[in-house]
Amino acid sequence: MDTKTKLKKALADELNLPELTGEGYNDDAALFGEGLGLDSLDAVELVIVIQKHFGIEIKDMDEGKTAFTSINTLAAYIDKRLSA
Amino acid sequence: MRSLQQPRPEEPSTGPDVQRPWTSRSLGSAFQHQIFYTLIRIFGRQGAYFVLYFVVAWYVLLRPSVRKRCGFYLIRRFPSRNGFQRLWDAYRLSLELGKVLVDRAVFGILGPEKLRCSLTGQETLRALLAEGHGLILVTAHAGSWQLSMASLVNLRAPVSLLIHREPGDVDRHFFEHGEQQLPYRIIDPIGYLGGMLEMLQVLKTGEVLCIMGDRVMGGEGSALAVDFLGGPIRIPFSPYKLASATGAPIAVIFPHKSGPDSYALQVARIIRVPENLGRLAAGYQPYADEYAACLEEFVTEYPYQFFNYFDMWTPPPPRPDPGK
Repeated sequence: MDTKTKLKKALADELNLPELTGEGYNDDAALFGEGLGLDSLDAVELVIVIQKHFGIEIKDMDEGKTAFTSINTLAAYIDKRLSA
Repeated sequence: MRSLQQPRPEEPSTGPDVQRPWTSRSLGSAFQHQIFYTLIRIFGRQGAYFVLYFVVAWYVLLRPSVRKRCGFYLIRRFPSRNGFQRLWDAYRLSLELGKVLVDRAVFGILGPEKLRCSLTGQETLRALLAEGHGLILVTAHAGSWQLSMASLVNLRAPVSLLIHREPGDVDRHFFEHGEQQLPYRIIDPIGYLGGMLEMLQVLKTGEVLCIMGDRVMGGEGSALAVDFLGGPIRIPFSPYKLASATGAPIAVIFPHKSGPDSYALQVARIIRVPENLGRLAAGYQPYADEYAACLEEFVTEYPYQFFNYFDMWTPPPPRPDPGK
């Protein structure tokens, strides 16, 4: 399972967002606000999910700001951290 | 020197998709503030207090809007008061706020040595910090929380404070009067994702995060209803969510003016939130209730040191239908 698929499944399960794994979801859509509709408190959940499923602890939240744009940016961030 | 929070529901919010029932903007003009700063420089705190008694009387007697703003809380705190008693309560509440603002300016203009700020429960807080998960301090708009926060330097750990300053507010923070170093880092809740990522970072690095637990800064989705003084109010549950996510303990702390030239910061309760409570607000209800109970105990003991001048008990307006 590639990182993006695993990420979407993890978020769908943990945050109860079944639309993420459905067909037609735009992986470039914004995670917060208009796109997926997550709110600021969900940012905490995102950090936890990434730590739990990928073993990545986001300590530098400036990195998180870029990564949390969309599913594609988040998956790219995870791949980058895993390969570092 | 007057800084009653004015309800301005007609104004667009500065935050993302948020309309708050309160503002922290000062009621007084820049010129009026300068008068008090000058009084402090020439006559000291007592000179400013002397003028303050009359200024507060003028505002309370001649400006119905000031009495109305005081009344939201006072009617709940003293439900059996009659007309004159209520007027006296409004005067006392406004005067206490005025003194706090004068003291804050004294601290900044004349120096920290002019006021004593004590921290009770320091060893408890240090022990909590030593657990290594950071520490969340949940406080309220009470006493002089800004001055009291300065006493947190005794914890010997960086402190970050979640506060929002209204654009155009002329009332200065104490550290803006001179060359004093800011004793804490400020996180703006109107910033990116409500400052949540910055708050997480503070806790992950084992530092101290201080949050006002009595006002909702984000959207209604970040609030829970709790009972306070006989009715439901809405308070943020982000402190409890952060605690659950990071394992950080919560200390509920309230500052109060303990004497003519002294302030005290006391630990009211330690709250432990289980880890991984998840996304739903309901999971955090018991901890928000615990905080509300602490707050009620505080206002019972210090009724004139609670400074929320808006109707906390008004239900939020229905969320606009995005489809319309």
